[in-house]
Amino acid sequence: MLEKKTNIYWLFILPGCIFLTFFMLIPLFSLLFKSFVDEEGSFSLVNYFTLMESTYFKQVFWRSIRLSLISTAACAVLGFPTAYYISKYSKNKGMLMALAVFPMFTSPVIRSFSWMVLLGKKGIVNEILVSFGVVAKPISLLYNEFSMVVGFIQLFLPLMILSLIGIMDNISEDLNLAAGSLGASRLGVFRHVVLPLSIPGLVTGSVLVFTGCLTAYTTPQLLGGTDTRVLATMIYQQAMSLGDWTQASVVAVVMIAVTIVVSSVINSISRKLNPTL
Amino acid sequence: MALLELQNITAGYDKNVILKDLDFQVEEGELVSLLGSSGCGKTTTLRLIAGFSTPMSGKFMFGGKDYTQVPLNKRNFGFVFQSYALFPHMTVFDNVAFGLKMRKVSPDQIKKEVMEMLETVDLGGFENRFPKEMSGGQRQRVALARALVIKPDLLLLDEPLSNLDAKLRVKMRVEIRRLQQKFGFTAIYVTHDQEECFAISDKVAIMNHGVIEQMDSPSVIYNHPKTEFIARFVGFENFMDLKRSETSGTYLLPDNSRIQAEAREGAESFKACIRPEDIMIVPEGSSAVNPLAGQITVSTFLGKRSQYNVRTAIGEFEVSTDQESVYKTGDKVTLSLTPGKIILL
Repeated sequence: MLEKKTNIYWLFILPGCIFLTFFMLIPLFSLLFKSFVDEEGSFSLVNYFTLMESTYFKQVFWRSIRLSLISTAACAVLGFPTAYYISKYSKNKGMLMALAVFPMFTSPVIRSFSWMVLLGKKGIVNEILVSFGVVAKPISLLYNEFSMVVGFIQLFLPLMILSLIGIMDNISEDLNLAAGSLGASRLGVFRHVVLPLSIPGLVTGSVLVFTGCLTAYTTPQLLGGTDTRVLATMIYQQAMSLGDWTQASVVAVVMIAVTIVVSSVINSISRKLNPTL
Repeated sequence: MALLELQNITAGYDKNVILKDLDFQVEEGELVSLLGSSGCGKTTTLRLIAGFSTPMSGKFMFGGKDYTQVPLNKRNFGFVFQSYALFPHMTVFDNVAFGLKMRKVSPDQIKKEVMEMLETVDLGGFENRFPKEMSGGQRQRVALARALVIKPDLLLLDEPLSNLDAKLRVKMRVEIRRLQQKFGFTAIYVTHDQEECFAISDKVAIMNHGVIEQMDSPSVIYNHPKTEFIARFVGFENFMDLKRSETSGTYLLPDNSRIQAEAREGAESFKACIRPEDIMIVPEGSSAVNPLAGQITVSTFLGKRSQYNVRTAIGEFEVSTDQESVYKTGDKVTLSLTPGKIILL
């Protein structure tokens, strides 16, 4: 009886599919298409060659990658101990997790503005540095790569922490005790058991943070300066300020390609560190 | 002097006291089981010995040294977990080699010792597998090999067989006993399975509510339980209150009938118990030793044996016989309590 019934459940995903086709797939492919044609409308890679030769683009490209990598590494270093504590030692886990993801509840604009208040020439950070005599006069902490990385870390650290907690919760305490009873010190337990078993969470977190940093627009726009453009802000500049939609499309395609490449590189590194993955 | 000694140990977490003034000793080369139902404190005791937790008060002596504050990685005890706790990201070889690596043994020596140990537990050729590619019984043997290869001063086993099916359990307990006798190591084995524990142990310590009620060899515990709790644990189902009479070896039951049992000096009244299989059933009115009139309330045929519940003047008795004659519910019968099998507590 059952197999005679027509399966109509695919209808459930139809609205979503239609929406995505019109508002994501078609624009995405028109973008892709635009980047691969020359002025006469025939297929060509000329747009890419032009872009590759531009020193400005090269600067922006490497800056984007560098800042995203630094932010990812910083999120990993900051997120790992936090996640480990929340997962293994905290008595009030729900509360701490809520605090960890709290930055995500506010808008990136508001968050960036609060960083401007903190990091400005007359901001709290500078006032403290000056009053303690660390620096003679206020230093510029804003509208440069430093403030962008700070913004990225605050924006994406919750993703890293949540990914890690998800994995660490599944590491049985017995494994740590087993390693200890076999003679491993606390550091040894961490190195040989906790760290390798947390790699899946580190991978997921890193991919999320990296792609987030690379594609974020508001934070670099508000916290970065005119000489610290990244790919996302460059796309906006090309399309909106300069009206060069073709060049904007090319940059967008490059950005998507980088995201895919970096994600798969991170994945393959993690596979080497943990062969059972 | 005992190899291992727990002195006045009190342990628990927060305000929850699980062990109260526990004393416990193990001699070198013995396999001692901690037996008890869940929550009795047997696992707490084992984890305390392993160094997974520290006692609130009391002392843990090992080999004449105070081990109470020695961290777990300095104890050189092997621990076999109920969950096996194999490292999922390491091969069988690396799992077994872990303890030796931590001890900075040379790679050649590690290779030799791990391979030998894997042969011993019958896992030669499995060294490159990952734990998830193995069956429960095989994982259990990897866990054993991993704990044994470090030549531990003490092996601790926490219900190691409870995740295996019945057949494999019997096979593995023989295996554990064989390895223990081969290497002569001292071991403490925690279980809630009475048969498993009796089969494997030199001595059994039965725990109840955080104290050891009796610690003896399996046969002594089986035949001469000291308390009602232990008697129930090892299969005594029928309990009676006895009062001393003027004749030694004869006692008065609550209904003033007389019963013979082993002679004992001391108290005026005793609790006594007898196993279902040590009671005979004869038709009503037949002559019998230690007779007790009753009526069958439940009759269960089990094939080889029959089991009856019999109501008597001094309470309900459970009887299990392999006699051929079968009695029906409501039949009036006489029970005969074998004198030598009545145990005074």
